[in-house]
Amino acid sequence: MAFLDGLLPAYYESIIITVGIYIILALGLNLITGVTGQLSLGHAAYMCIGAYTSAIVSMKLGLPFIVALLCAGIVAAIFGIFIGFPVLRLTGDYLAICTLGFGEILKSILFNMPYVGGAMGMAGIPPKTTLLNTIIIALIVIIVMVRMERSRFGRSLVAIREDEIAAECMGINAFRYKLQMFAIGTFTAGLGGALWAHKIMVLQPRDFGFMKSIEILNMVVLGGLGSIPGTILGATLLTAIPEILRFSSEYRMVIYGALLVIMMIFRPHGLMGNTDFNKLAKRTFRVFNTNNNKDKKSGMEG
Amino acid sequence: MFKHKQLFVLVALLLVAFIVVGCGGKSAEKSGEQTAAGDAIKIGFLGDLTGDTASYGKNTLEGMKMAAEKLNAAGGVLGKKVEIVEADHRYDKAEAANIVQKFINEDKVSAIVGDPTTGITKATAPISNGAGVVQLSAGSTGPDVVEIGPYIFRNTLLDSVGGPATMDYIINDLGWKKVALITSVNNDFSVGLSKIFKDAILANGGEIVVEESVQDGDTDFSGQVSNIKAKNPDVIVFSGYYTEGGLIMKEVRKQGMQDIVMVGGDGLQSPTFWELGGQAVEGSISYCGFSPEQPTDETAKFIEEFKAKYNKDPDLFDAQGYDAVNIIAAAMEKAKSADPKVFRDALAQTKDFPGVSGVTTFRENREPIKSPVYLLQVKDQKWSLLKKVPVKMD
Repeated sequence: MAFLDGLLPAYYESIIITVGIYIILALGLNLITGVTGQLSLGHAAYMCIGAYTSAIVSMKLGLPFIVALLCAGIVAAIFGIFIGFPVLRLTGDYLAICTLGFGEILKSILFNMPYVGGAMGMAGIPPKTTLLNTIIIALIVIIVMVRMERSRFGRSLVAIREDEIAAECMGINAFRYKLQMFAIGTFTAGLGGALWAHKIMVLQPRDFGFMKSIEILNMVVLGGLGSIPGTILGATLLTAIPEILRFSSEYRMVIYGALLVIMMIFRPHGLMGNTDFNKLAKRTFRVFNTNNNKDKKSGMEG
Repeated sequence: MFKHKQLFVLVALLLVAFIVVGCGGKSAEKSGEQTAAGDAIKIGFLGDLTGDTASYGKNTLEGMKMAAEKLNAAGGVLGKKVEIVEADHRYDKAEAANIVQKFINEDKVSAIVGDPTTGITKATAPISNGAGVVQLSAGSTGPDVVEIGPYIFRNTLLDSVGGPATMDYIINDLGWKKVALITSVNNDFSVGLSKIFKDAILANGGEIVVEESVQDGDTDFSGQVSNIKAKNPDVIVFSGYYTEGGLIMKEVRKQGMQDIVMVGGDGLQSPTFWELGGQAVEGSISYCGFSPEQPTDETAKFIEEFKAKYNKDPDLFDAQGYDAVNIIAAAMEKAKSADPKVFRDALAQTKDFPGVSGVTTFRENREPIKSPVYLLQVKDQKWSLLKKVPVKMD
């Protein structure tokens, strides 16, 4: 397990782990909001459930990290189904408000739960998140998401996003698909939360507020709703930019905000929105080829 | 459309390249800096400059910078210049963890001062402790901080010292035995302090006649206040922050309790307390680790110099940041080394250090004993010194 340790300076390792965790979280939200078009403002709540579950499993029950990780995903997904069952019948603004409300309720419950430390939170979680296991989990999530997007299931989800009534007419059980999709999306949020908990080592309910949900949504929207490479790019940029801009000290967050505004003006659909990555790669490759051929020809003529 | 996409890919690639180059360039520049300024002692400032707790971070940094300037003007530490490396974490735990890694591995700091809050300190202390770098928090008052490891220190008036001293004073000196205790349940500071207050009230023979819960961000406290009124307590003890404190006292006066005052922790230490509470908070008492009134010579000099430099009065965090740098510098001088593995022992043996915010001694478990506790009271919409309670070694 340890062959990646010490390969990178610890500072960069720490940043890459953070990026990896945000990629996992953002991909889950991308499935819900980007691919299926269900605006969720409560993604941090599922991350929170995952983080607390994994912390309880590894601290209070003393079980290994892999068990904590799976439990985190499963419990988050159970809550996802539990909340999704009534809520996914709603669409648009109503769904957003319900998920937002769930996030706030969860925070209030945790604040008043002595078992998980209330407002003081849980401290002393074992630091089990390494570069290697973050990369492995991120890769698994990316592969699953890519495969799913191209499957019958994924295409049905896109159909639901484009026109739910038309999709129903074509025989897609929209509610069932949405519920399954929501369970998968919240499962990944749980995974991300578990990695987060075992990296930060301290959990407090205030870390999983509305702003955390918005931060993740920001990544998805910036990258391009529904685009997996876009979401990865968005998560990477939004985590890395504040670190890169560190030299500008007080103006850092101003520049960060300005960059967001500028990007949304020039790319209203997000960085990779409306871009099919495969086709794009092929086309770019073809352009290069033709250019090269042209060069060769002109070279021969000369 | 096709052209457009091509252009976009180019821009995206450029952006990525820019970032990669940016990273590389920065680290190269850093290593160059290190050889050039190899004889500087670096102290990292970990704190929040733009987030929820920015006022703590900014003031701590001001104090630290002033301390470093004074040390450098007097010839530095061990003949080297002291350099403060600053970074802002926006009150985000993940970012704070990254910053500590940067301090330790990129900047190669000798010590880290921060964070002023308990939550972030707990999230970052395991990292610096694991790497063997001293982290001294000037401000975290909650439980289970120094227990993280031998490299973790803090220098601040602990709730577990200030709380009991305050309760002792109001119960035994003022004779207020019937206490109404209010806790803000979504505030970790308040939850921790309430527990301390409760134990201290019972230990001093007081009685908690009613306990009420509020939340940070609440604005209507009429329900809680009428419950309190029904029990007719001598005093209201509130462990939360100034915003809620001011509003609660307003409600208390509105419901007709004219004489009762609020007693709280250093969470009440802000002008917002009387800006919101107005006349209702007159007479309120809180404890604090610093007061500009009745200063020692050392403190008087600090206040004067601080005013000249920043054109405002120093507060608790300014003083604590200033002291933190000086305590570390003193330990380095004593150990004749800026290597945290060496001067840590000297730091742990700090005894009766005369700081501007009080006299500090580290116990064996690295918890500070800071004397005195300043009991302050609101008089004419300003904190004024009520009593200095000396803290005894136990």
